[in-house]
Amino acid sequence: MQSLREVQRGFAAATVFGDTTALAALGVVGGGLDPIARIGVYRNNVLGNYRKALGATYPVVRRLVGAPFFNAAVDAFVRAYPSRHGDVNRYGGELVRFLAAYAPARELPYLPDVARLEWAIDQAAIAADAPPLDLAALAAVPADAFERLIFVLNPSAHFLASAYPIQRIWQVNQDGFEGDDAVDLGAGGDRLLVLRGANGVTIERLGAGEHALLTALARRAGLGEAAARAAGKEDGFDLTRALRHHVEAQTLVAIRVPASTQPRTGR
Amino acid sequence: MSPANPLPPVAGIGLRSPHVAQVRHDRPAVGWLEVHSENYFVDGGSALSALEAIRADYPISLHGVGLSLGSADALDAGHLARLKRLADRIEPVLVSEHLCWGRIDGRHLNDLLPLPFTNEALALCCDRVSAVQNALDRPLLVENVSAYLRFEDDAMAEWEFVAAVVRRTGCKLLLDVNNIYVNAVNHGFDPLMYLAAMPGDAIAEIHLAGFDASGACLIDTHGARVAPPVWALYRAAIERFGPKPTLIEWDTDLPALNVLLDEAAIARAVLEESNAVAA
Repeated sequence: MQSLREVQRGFAAATVFGDTTALAALGVVGGGLDPIARIGVYRNNVLGNYRKALGATYPVVRRLVGAPFFNAAVDAFVRAYPSRHGDVNRYGGELVRFLAAYAPARELPYLPDVARLEWAIDQAAIAADAPPLDLAALAAVPADAFERLIFVLNPSAHFLASAYPIQRIWQVNQDGFEGDDAVDLGAGGDRLLVLRGANGVTIERLGAGEHALLTALARRAGLGEAAARAAGKEDGFDLTRALRHHVEAQTLVAIRVPASTQPRTGR
Repeated sequence: MSPANPLPPVAGIGLRSPHVAQVRHDRPAVGWLEVHSENYFVDGGSALSALEAIRADYPISLHGVGLSLGSADALDAGHLARLKRLADRIEPVLVSEHLCWGRIDGRHLNDLLPLPFTNEALALCCDRVSAVQNALDRPLLVENVSAYLRFEDDAMAEWEFVAAVVRRTGCKLLLDVNNIYVNAVNHGFDPLMYLAAMPGDAIAEIHLAGFDASGACLIDTHGARVAPPVWALYRAAIERFGPKPTLIEWDTDLPALNVLLDEAAIARAVLEESNAVAA
């Protein structure tokens, strides 16, 4: 008699990997239906669940490659990257990494970045809620403290940079998109902010300065340092305008004013 | 521990995301709603806030699909902590999970997989159910699952296994009448014999759903209306155990909300008939 662990190990091998030796060792009662057909029901259910769940997370990737290609890729992904959570909604972030190394997808070099965008959209939708920044608190910051002011970013904020126009690719592959769906892959890359603000999840293209500013603030750099980085990336960068926009858009949701005016010292 | 019967024996429906806006807007006359716990294991966002709004109008039942009570791997403490956090937030009338497994050697299969009905599996399930009840500080409902295979190593029948878990742990039973029917057809037993082995006092909820009969065995798809023989078995269960809170489940090929409400109305008629007989 097999231990419970042996049974479950064999069952996983027979379903996920189609291992017929493992199936034979399982001791499945036939009773009018072949054990291969019986385990086949579970094989279809398990792989079918993942195809459906990941298809819902990555609808544009699925559309770009077509359902048969997508389903085969999901099956291979499931074998290579096991689900680590009982909550299937948490599964699939590693598809980005998987696709980057997946030989059959090599002709679509932008595919991993599109997947990264879709995962960011998925994660933004379920991130913690954050109340908007209290403008009175911002107004109360003494002028001499602006340099070292720290901003807290919306927990849903995700930054993506790609060498491909992935926002355009995403847009023309939405259900109900009308108009010219041509994409010029040579049009240049994207710096994107995915955010859940007052209007739900949005994708915004960022300028080079804005991107440098926000990613520095996301690392908890002081405003002075972040602004310098932005100015270094974009001539004539308008800091005031960028801050006002991202407070209104709820990219920036809180501030911290470090107490000390001492210059920062290393450890 | 919470009171034994926090929900009256009325009909409810499983609430899935495509129906949420309509339920909030129309507030249909249905006794309660059940959601999949894991869909709300989130830090924030519109789905969670919608559920928090809906719970003001309806009793909510949290139905888990991923705790993997019967896995040889250890209970997932993170998963249990998320369930506890959600239960504290939503204050559900019922919390249920499946008597099955879904994880081995750290890999989740994210499905409701069949246990061998062995003494080892029984002891493990009892330990897990007790641990979950302690962690949540409330009774857990365990649900019998549909199965497409059985194991030669089985030491007891499914109904003996289910009844033993309930008896040993003091947990409640979520009796899925459709799953009993599916298994009776797939494995060739009398579903009434299964019913007769169930501890009636422990039944805190009944599930009804539709199956797919197009293949070599019945598949529990939750993708169709409740089949006539399942309604007959449900009537037999209510006759035997008295009226119990009853839920219409639908997951694949989700139809319009009205179809679920129609099905719930059929269940309600059976429950009201039973109440009238008892009065």
